[in-house]
Amino acid sequence: MRWATRSGVHVDRAACAWLVRRFIDAEAEFVFADDPEEVPDGATAFDVRGAELSHHGSDCSFETMLAKFSLDDPVLWDIARIVHEADIEDERFDAPEAPGLDVLCRGLSMVLSDEDILVVTQQMFDGLYEFRHRALMLGRDPA
Amino acid sequence: MGILGPKQFAGVVIGHVPPPIDDVTVVANIIIEPYDPGVAGNVDWVLLSYKLPREPSNPRVLLWRKLRRLGAAQIVDGLVALPADARTREHFDWLADEIVEAGGEAGTWIARAGSLHQEQQLAARMAGAVTGEYLEITATAIATLEVADSTARRRTVTRLRRELRKVGARDFFPPMEREHAHLAVEELANAIAARVGASR
Repeated sequence: MRWATRSGVHVDRAACAWLVRRFIDAEAEFVFADDPEEVPDGATAFDVRGAELSHHGSDCSFETMLAKFSLDDPVLWDIARIVHEADIEDERFDAPEAPGLDVLCRGLSMVLSDEDILVVTQQMFDGLYEFRHRALMLGRDPA
Repeated sequence: MGILGPKQFAGVVIGHVPPPIDDVTVVANIIIEPYDPGVAGNVDWVLLSYKLPREPSNPRVLLWRKLRRLGAAQIVDGLVALPADARTREHFDWLADEIVEAGGEAGTWIARAGSLHQEQQLAARMAGAVTGEYLEITATAIATLEVADSTARRRTVTRLRRELRKVGARDFFPPMEREHAHLAVEELANAIAARVGASR
């Protein structure tokens, strides 16, 4: 399936792309559009203004996607807390990891193309998932 | 660029002189030039224009809080501004969508001030808004130097550092008070470290 999002990938879009490939569509192909009008026909838009898979109310796109695809894995919702604060910074959640994740994503966007950012952040989010998974199992941060 | 250097927006340095700036007067990192109505502003601003129904009041309060957290400056009722960069543009885009979802009308715009004077007034107002917050942090840090309870002192350092980060996120035209606040908090942290060292 083809998925479309805005270019200049930042944390919310990187997290959504990772979510799509790992939990929704392993064969996902991503295209980038600067304007909602440029989203190609047949592509599913996410984190694009006006799209269904986007910000809604006070939720970021990652949270919208978890709800929309009925993903109830608690690790994903824990990651949503971090992505929400890294993206929206509204202090709705306690997410000390968020400023660090935000900086890393901003830095990557300065040196990599959108395609390469998705490759790198794919592994970053794999690692974040594993870390938070173990933390939730242990009830504390893993060593 | 150091932590206290002038901020850059999409390659534009406020005052259009690259840092370091030694030989010009800098107030709140804006270079003060004689008012020339012919010179337009040099900062790209992102504007959010909006209209929200008076009732329910909850979305209004929520929006007001978010704008405050972002450090947005109100130009007139229903029109707010931030220096434009990828982050601020995105925040305003999403706020616009949120306002529309809440039954209001909203749009985002990229704009330049018609005159440098007008731009400086807006920037000075934004600098003024964070100055008070920095002064408060400085005063707390200095007062805490006298607190005997070392646990309380350390807790204050943690809290003040967090506040500095929060204020820093909405500080687009850093006033001198910013540096003073950072120095005062670091001095408090150093004083704690020195006392811990002495008691060993």
